[in-house]
Amino acid sequence: MTRRTLAFFVCSPHSRTGVTTAARLLTDYYLSRNVGVEGFDTDFREPLYALFFPEATRIVDISEVKGQISLFDRLLVADETPKIVDVWHRSYERLFTTIAEIGFLEEARRRRVEPIVLFQTDLTDSAANSALVLQTTWPDLAMSVIHNRGASPLGRDSMAVLARYPASGKFVIPRLEAPIAGTLDDVDLSLSRFLREPPPGMSMVARTALEAWLLPIFTQFQSFELRLELQSCEWLR
Amino acid sequence: MAKKPVKTTREAPAKREPESRTRTAEPPAAGSNAAGRPAVIVVGADKGGVGKTTIARAILDFLSLNDIHTRAFDTETPRGTLHRFHPDETMIVDLTEPSDQMKIIDTLNTSRAKVSVIDVRAGGLSPALEALDEIGFFDAVKSGEFRFVLLHVIGPSIASLEEIAEIAPYVTDANYFMVKNHVNDTTFFEWDPQTHAKYFEHVVTSGEITIPKLSELAYEQVELSGTPFSTFIGNQDAQGRPAEHSFVLRGYVRTWLARVADEFERVGLLDLVGEKRR
Repeated sequence: MTRRTLAFFVCSPHSRTGVTTAARLLTDYYLSRNVGVEGFDTDFREPLYALFFPEATRIVDISEVKGQISLFDRLLVADETPKIVDVWHRSYERLFTTIAEIGFLEEARRRRVEPIVLFQTDLTDSAANSALVLQTTWPDLAMSVIHNRGASPLGRDSMAVLARYPASGKFVIPRLEAPIAGTLDDVDLSLSRFLREPPPGMSMVARTALEAWLLPIFTQFQSFELRLELQSCEWLR
Repeated sequence: MAKKPVKTTREAPAKREPESRTRTAEPPAAGSNAAGRPAVIVVGADKGGVGKTTIARAILDFLSLNDIHTRAFDTETPRGTLHRFHPDETMIVDLTEPSDQMKIIDTLNTSRAKVSVIDVRAGGLSPALEALDEIGFFDAVKSGEFRFVLLHVIGPSIASLEEIAEIAPYVTDANYFMVKNHVNDTTFFEWDPQTHAKYFEHVVTSGEITIPKLSELAYEQVELSGTPFSTFIGNQDAQGRPAEHSFVLRGYVRTWLARVADEFERVGLLDLVGEKRR
């Protein structure tokens, strides 16, 4: 029996919440396990996500029907290759409007493609409300939240803020000290390769800190993936 | 045997009071053999490029999806656009030719299809209605022999309102709908109420149908495929073989066709042609 093909929408209706970082981490998680990934960067003006993975991503302008075809027709291909969409905050509304209009979710399920929303949290009420709207519109849509403590800290009341999100799972991306975080800006730094073979010129402090930051994140992704697989096992039901 | 309409001379229509410009769709008259009466749906406009054939295609899809056996006549001679999309059920005719009029009217009672859709070519609506009047079709409608629905596709200009005056004499016994077609992003200005009323004082409409916009790319791909909208949605080519149409475009067409169907249902088109949803 074929496995479901996962299609991740990493998104937030707001800018600078860490969407591209999350999409990058998820992509590198799969690549670190030698699993091929197809990425889509919907920020056609400054496609940072595509810069990190030039050979595995395509840039799509979903304000145009041609861009929507490049994205959604490809997402519906059930080839077991995980698809990751970095949803630019300016594309957020258009993306979900199109999903509704073309009946993407229904068709995806029919083809054994599992759409998963990874919703980036922030302190605003409007972000939580946007997540609620998604859940109300599509109650069966799998949604997890990502709390990026560096890019979008939730403060002391983080638990209360997170409780406003209607998600079935939660990822936490720890804060990285500024000097170390700076190393992530290098588009030539592959986090998946880094784990196998750290760049020779990298300082030991940076390497250790980056490893300590990265491994727990990848462990969360792995747990999530395992949970999805268990949920899809019909013989366990 | 089919009863041939008797040719009569039509008198000028009595002037109607403009107290109400719309009426609700009338159910079949009690006592008549309402359910069995053949229905004729004419889609037309005197202005070109307003999307008559698109509307006719949408109607054929709508009726087909409701399991209503329908035939169509395309008056765009010699090569019909409607015929290109629905070749199996469409015949190309010249409404001004008696032989072709006979093919339509004389077979209304005997045809297996109880609904006939006539797609009138640009500029041909008034002559077509005049021809139908000449052969006594409207008298047969008045006497309850046939049902008649007129979908008048209007453009955004005042010329479209002027058409209304020309066709007014023929729509007294019809279920007459104005169709605003936004499929190609036409924007309709809001007519000044007084101007509007002036043009409608001689005509009673059954309502207004709004055809929503469809993505240009999706529309273009259906055009290229040369298939009914529903066939395109089903990802098949004109020969019924599997096609490779984009899911996005099929999704847009499916949503659009569903909205159009909602409009047809809203105005009770199935009831008007004597067919309930099966």
